[in-house]
Amino acid sequence: MLETRNLDKSFGAVHVTRDVSLKLERGERRVILGPNGAGKTTLFNQLVGELTPDSGSVHLAGEDVTALPVARRARRGLSRSYQKNTLFDGLTVEENLSLAAAVHTGNASQLWSDSFTKPEVHEIVAEVAEQVNLMPYIHARVSEISYGVRRQLEVGVALATRPLVLLMDEPTSGVGPEMSKGFHDLLNNLPRDLTLLIIEHDMDLAFDVADTITVLNYGEVVFDGVPEAARNSKLLKEIYLGSWEDA
Amino acid sequence: MFRHNALRYAVLVALSLAALFQALTAEYFGLEILTEILILAVLVLALDMVAGFGGQVSLCHGALMGVGAYVYALVSAKAGIAPPVAMASAVAVTGVIAWVIGAICSRSHGIYFIMATLAFGQMAYAYVFEAPVFGGDDGLSGISRLDLSLFGIDLDDSRSFALFCLAVAGAVYGASVMTLQSGLGRSLTGVMHNEQRMRALGLTVWRVKADVFGLSGMIAGLAGVLAAQHVMYISPGLLSWTVSGEALVVVILGGLGTLVGPLIGAAAFVLLKHEISAWTDHWHLVVGVVLIAVVMSGANGIFGWAEARWGGWLERRMADATRKHEQEEVVSDA
Ligand SMILES: Nc1ncnc2c1ncn2[C@@H]1O[C@H](COP(=O)(O)OP(=O)(O)OP(=O)(O)O)[C@@H](O)[C@H]1O
Ligand SMILES: [Mg+2]
Repeated sequence: MLETRNLDKSFGAVHVTRDVSLKLERGERRVILGPNGAGKTTLFNQLVGELTPDSGSVHLAGEDVTALPVARRARRGLSRSYQKNTLFDGLTVEENLSLAAAVHTGNASQLWSDSFTKPEVHEIVAEVAEQVNLMPYIHARVSEISYGVRRQLEVGVALATRPLVLLMDEPTSGVGPEMSKGFHDLLNNLPRDLTLLIIEHDMDLAFDVADTITVLNYGEVVFDGVPEAARNSKLLKEIYLGSWEDA
Repeated sequence: MFRHNALRYAVLVALSLAALFQALTAEYFGLEILTEILILAVLVLALDMVAGFGGQVSLCHGALMGVGAYVYALVSAKAGIAPPVAMASAVAVTGVIAWVIGAICSRSHGIYFIMATLAFGQMAYAYVFEAPVFGGDDGLSGISRLDLSLFGIDLDDSRSFALFCLAVAGAVYGASVMTLQSGLGRSLTGVMHNEQRMRALGLTVWRVKADVFGLSGMIAGLAGVLAAQHVMYISPGLLSWTVSGEALVVVILGGLGTLVGPLIGAAAFVLLKHEISAWTDHWHLVVGVVLIAVVMSGANGIFGWAEARWGGWLERRMADATRKHEQEEVVSDA
């Protein structure tokens, strides 16, 4: 469903993505682990097209999308959430979701009708709000909801484009343990055929939700396999104990 | 997201009634001032649409208005084509030019966007000034107004023309609200709040910006047509960047991104100009001081200030009133 081949990227002398090849099957839930600065977010940026790789390619549903701009990749079913909230701050939760749903349903550039009153937009907004537990806050502005709820909305906005592949960049970063638990439930609410790539710092959560795990270190894939194998990997323990304990 | 609220409706009704009263009762000079306000109102609605709801602070809207005026003058006075057709061509041509400017400038932001639009405006000014067909420094004269004699209206009469401009301004306000509450307008607001996210959601951002800029240009062109018909003579000064600057001052003075605010701004600006120039030539100085005071107050213009003070209160009063009304209905039903 989503594949990278020999992706490579440097910022000046800093080599942040080294020959990364990944392959996600339809419906696969893959977690990316790795210490701070390992190049996880940079990899996401290249997957969605916000950054151009120096070499290598990105394939979505069997097609090479490396040359496609961000918006066109998104319209082909690739969606992401951000590590740092990237919301429409002055607007309500409902409006945030509606903007995304409007793009997906083709109502986003219509002059003769209001995208926010379209039944198909309402339907998506209601469904997503249910999935990510935003119903109680639906009419609140982003400025009025807590950080944890904003993290949920961050994922909700990405979901409202009804993607084939969803990339989530540390969806639980900065939220308390009970919210992390809630996130686990949230994942269970998502359709099983949705392909998920999740960057996650919390090891337990990662092992819990992942079908497969990729570990990045200094921009390089140092592990790729099932959670059981990762749990017993010596290399992973080294990286984990070496730099994650203090993270 | 553009929303109407109780205060906005109240101000809108008050402004419309005041304008109507003025149009029906004023003498010649008063009608001239009213017409000037209404034409400026159309221009600043166009500007507020892109600057207030798209973050596109344009310094070429004066030039766009000038383009509209010149196209109208050329098509009607020089080519002798009927005014309604000339009006439509002026609006269309300005819209197309604005769309192209919007598309080209869509990647630039902030100060770069301002400078790019200023450059386009200056190019238009220089071209109109130098090309012989536009009459150069002398401008063009002998421009006629729309002929509405079919409906028994003589627009050469100042009162009728002022009422005509009032009707146009009302229609433009309605069109602006509809645009901002359309899918396109919603997306534009999304882009202003977070362009990166809108793109990541799959929106072709430059198209949305160009489309709204084009629509805004059509409105600016319409303001130009009215200006040409009003004075019946046009000169390149209409395209000067100071016109764009003044329009921006009016939008900020009234309240950026409120639509209603710029209407207040237009009225305040023109009235201030005429009142003050009666006793000193330095009216710019006074307007400048007023603008500084408004900006320094930290409020979003005159209307933004009023909305912060009374908007919520009025809204609650209205809500209470409806609730009471509903309760009474329930009681009378029972
Ligand atoms: N635009 C940029 N220009 C230069 N260097 C960058 C840029 N973006 C990221 N980097 C560097 O690339 C490296 C990888 O950064 P990245 O954000 O991808 O790490 P990460 O794995 O997401 O880390 P974290 O867990 O802290 O989010 C870091 O050293 C970072 O400083
Ligand atoms: Mg990161």
